[in-house]
Amino acid sequence: MHFDPTLFAQQLINGLSLGGIYALIALGYTMVYGIIELINFAHGDVYTLGTFFSLAILTLLGVTGVVTGPMLIVVVAVTILGAMILCGLTGVIIERLAYRRLRNAPKLAPLITAIGMSFILENLMLYWKGPSPIPFPAVIPNPEFTLGAVTIQAKQVMVILLAIVLMVVLQAFVYNTKLGKAMRATAQDKDAAQLMGININTTIALTFLIGSALAGAAGFVSGVYYGSTWFFNGFGAGLKAFTAAVLGGIGNLAGAMLGGFLIGLIEAMTTQFIGDQWSNVVVFSVLVIVLIFRPSGLLGEALPNKV
Amino acid sequence: MRLSVPQAILAVALAASLSACTSSSSSSSSAASSGPSGGTIKIGVDLPVSGADASIGMPTQNGAVLAVEEANRNGFAGGKFKLDTSLLDDAVQGKHDPAAGAQNVKTFISDSAVLAMVGPFNSNVAKSEIPLTNDAGLAQISPSNTNDGLTIGDDAKKLRTAHPDVNTYFRVCTRDAKQGAALAQVAADRLKLKKVFVIDDNETYGKGLADVFDTSFRQLGGTVLGHEHITANQVDFKALLTKIKAQGPDAVFFGGNTSTGGGLIRRQMADVGLGKTPFLGGDGISDDEFEKQAGDSANGSYMTVASPDATKLPSAKAFVDAYKARFKTDVGPYSANAYTAAKIEIAAFEKAIADAGGKMPTRGDVLKYIAATKEYDSPIGKVGFDANGDTTSPVLSLLNVQGGKKVVIDVIQLKS
Repeated sequence: MHFDPTLFAQQLINGLSLGGIYALIALGYTMVYGIIELINFAHGDVYTLGTFFSLAILTLLGVTGVVTGPMLIVVVAVTILGAMILCGLTGVIIERLAYRRLRNAPKLAPLITAIGMSFILENLMLYWKGPSPIPFPAVIPNPEFTLGAVTIQAKQVMVILLAIVLMVVLQAFVYNTKLGKAMRATAQDKDAAQLMGININTTIALTFLIGSALAGAAGFVSGVYYGSTWFFNGFGAGLKAFTAAVLGGIGNLAGAMLGGFLIGLIEAMTTQFIGDQWSNVVVFSVLVIVLIFRPSGLLGEALPNKV
Repeated sequence: MRLSVPQAILAVALAASLSACTSSSSSSSSAASSGPSGGTIKIGVDLPVSGADASIGMPTQNGAVLAVEEANRNGFAGGKFKLDTSLLDDAVQGKHDPAAGAQNVKTFISDSAVLAMVGPFNSNVAKSEIPLTNDAGLAQISPSNTNDGLTIGDDAKKLRTAHPDVNTYFRVCTRDAKQGAALAQVAADRLKLKKVFVIDDNETYGKGLADVFDTSFRQLGGTVLGHEHITANQVDFKALLTKIKAQGPDAVFFGGNTSTGGGLIRRQMADVGLGKTPFLGGDGISDDEFEKQAGDSANGSYMTVASPDATKLPSAKAFVDAYKARFKTDVGPYSANAYTAAKIEIAAFEKAIADAGGKMPTRGDVLKYIAATKEYDSPIGKVGFDANGDTTSPVLSLLNVQGGKKVVIDVIQLKS
C-alpha cells in the first residue's frame, strides 16, 4: 500500500484522541501507585462510573442533545465538576472501606481486593443501567476544522487538550503546593512523613480523591466523544490505561500521559498499516520490549527509598 | 479472625457480585392442570435473556414458552402428561457465553424430564453444546444459529464426537452460506454496489457470515476493498473507519452482532464522514438494540433475518396475535422460529408417547420423530429437516432502517 500523508495525519488525530482518554485514566492509576504502590484495578470502573454519573447529571439537567450559547459552558462545567466530585468521593470511600485496613498487609491482599472492588462496581453499574450500551447525549457542538485535507472534530481537540491541561495542573499541584509536598513525602517514606507531622490517612485519601476525580472527567469526555457508554467499558479502557502508566513509568505523571498518547497512536497506526485485530498484540508487544530495555518505563526512574 | 464492619460488607458484596456472574435460572410452570397421571415432560430452553442480547433473546424465549402453554391448554397428549419449560440463560455479564451454554445443557441432560431442547441462539454457543447433546442423545432445535459448520462438512463431523453417525442438532432458520450469498446478491443486484469493505467480529457466526459474503460478492463481480476483524470489547473504531473511508467504499458490510460492535461501528461511521454510506449486515444486527445504539446513524442500514418476517406472513397471523395477547409486546425476529421449534418437539413428544403406549418416552424416541419431521405446518411455512438437520425451506427477510425503524422490504425464498 502506498503511503498517504493525509491519511497518516488523520490517524494521528484519531490516535491522539483515543490516547487522551487513556492518559486521563492513566493519571489516576499512576498517582495511586506512586503513593501506596497499589495497582487500583477498580480505577477503570470508576472511570465508567464517571460516564454514568455524567449521564445522570445531564438527565437531571434535561440535556438530551447539543447545547449552544452560554448554557453550554454552564452545562459542561456542572456535569464535569459533578462527575469529578462524585467519582472522587467514590474513590475516597473505596479507599476507606477496602484498602486502608490492608495498607500494611502483604501486597497480594490489596491487589486482590482491588480486583474484587472492580467486580463490585461493574455489577452495581450493571444493576443500575442494565447491560446494554447506553446512548450519551452529544452535549457540545461538534464543528469540524480542516487543516489541508485533514479533518479534526471539536471533540477530538477537547479530549487532547483536556488531557494535557489536567496533567499540567496536576503536575503543578504535586510539585508546588504544600499538599503536593505531603503526597510526595508519603510516597517516599510513610513512617518518616508521619514523624514529620503529615497525616498519612488524609494524604492518601486526597490522592484517591484527585485520581478518581480525573477518572470522572475522563468519563464525561469519553461519553461525549463516543456518544455511548456501558457498564463494562472500564475493563478494556482500564487495562490499556494501566499499560499506559507502566509504559510511561508508573508513578510518573508525565509518563502516564506520554504512555496514554503512545498507546492511542500505536493502536491507530496498527489498524491503518497492519490490521485492526492486531492492535492489542502490537500494543502489548511494545510494552514488553520497552520493559525489557527500560524496566521502570520510558520516563520512570529508579526511585530512591522505595519499598 | 475478627472481621471489621467494612470488611464484612465487602465480603458480602463480593460474594454477591460473584454470584451475579453465574447465569440465573428460572423455571416457568404454567397454570397447574390437576395432576396428570403420566408425569411432566420438559423442554429445555437455552437462550441469552440478559444483557445486550436480551433484546433479541427474550422475545425468542417467549415464542417457546407460548408453544408450551398452548399445548397444555389444548390437552397435550390427551391430558396424560404435563408439559413444562426449563428456562436457562447463557449470557454472562450481558453477553452470550459458550461455557455458560454448555453448563446449561449439562443441567438439561441431568434432568430426566427434559426430552428435547430449544436453543441456543448464538453459533459459538452451539459449538460448545452440540458435542454434549450428541453424547446424551438429546434433540435440540435452534431457532437462529446460522453458522454452516454446525451442520455441514468436517466442522460438523468434529462436533459429533461421541456418536458420529447420530445427529441431534436441527435448526429452523437459514444457514450462513445461503444468508451471506443472498446478502451479496442484494448488494450487487438490488443496491448496485461495486466496492464494499468487510468487517467481522472474529466470532464463529460473524466471521463465517462475512467470509461467505466476501467470496460471493467477488463472484458476482464486486470488489472487496478489504476484510478486517475487530477484537472483543472494542469500543473505538475511528481508526479502522478512517482507513476504510480513505478507500471510498460504496458500503460497509459487518459480520457480527449488535452486542459485538455492530451498533457502535454504525454510530462511529458518522464521525468519520461515512454516515451516508450504506451499512449491511446479517441477522446479528436485526434486533431493536441496533437502532438504539447507532442512534440517528442507523438509517440506511440493511440487514437480513434468517427466517421469514412473521408479521408479514398470513400463516403466522394467529401466532402473532396470540403472542401479543400473552406478552403485551410485538414479536421479535426469532419468536416464530422458537415457537415452531417447540411445536415440532411437542408433536414429536406426542408421537413418541403413543409409541410407548402412553408411558414416558425416551429421548431416543423423541429424537427419531424430530429427525423425521417433514412438511410440518407452522407459522413460518412448511418446515422439515434434511439429513444434516437443516431446514428444507430456507427463507430470508430483507430489512432496511428508515426513519429510525426497521422496515421489511423483501422476503426472499431460497433453494434448499
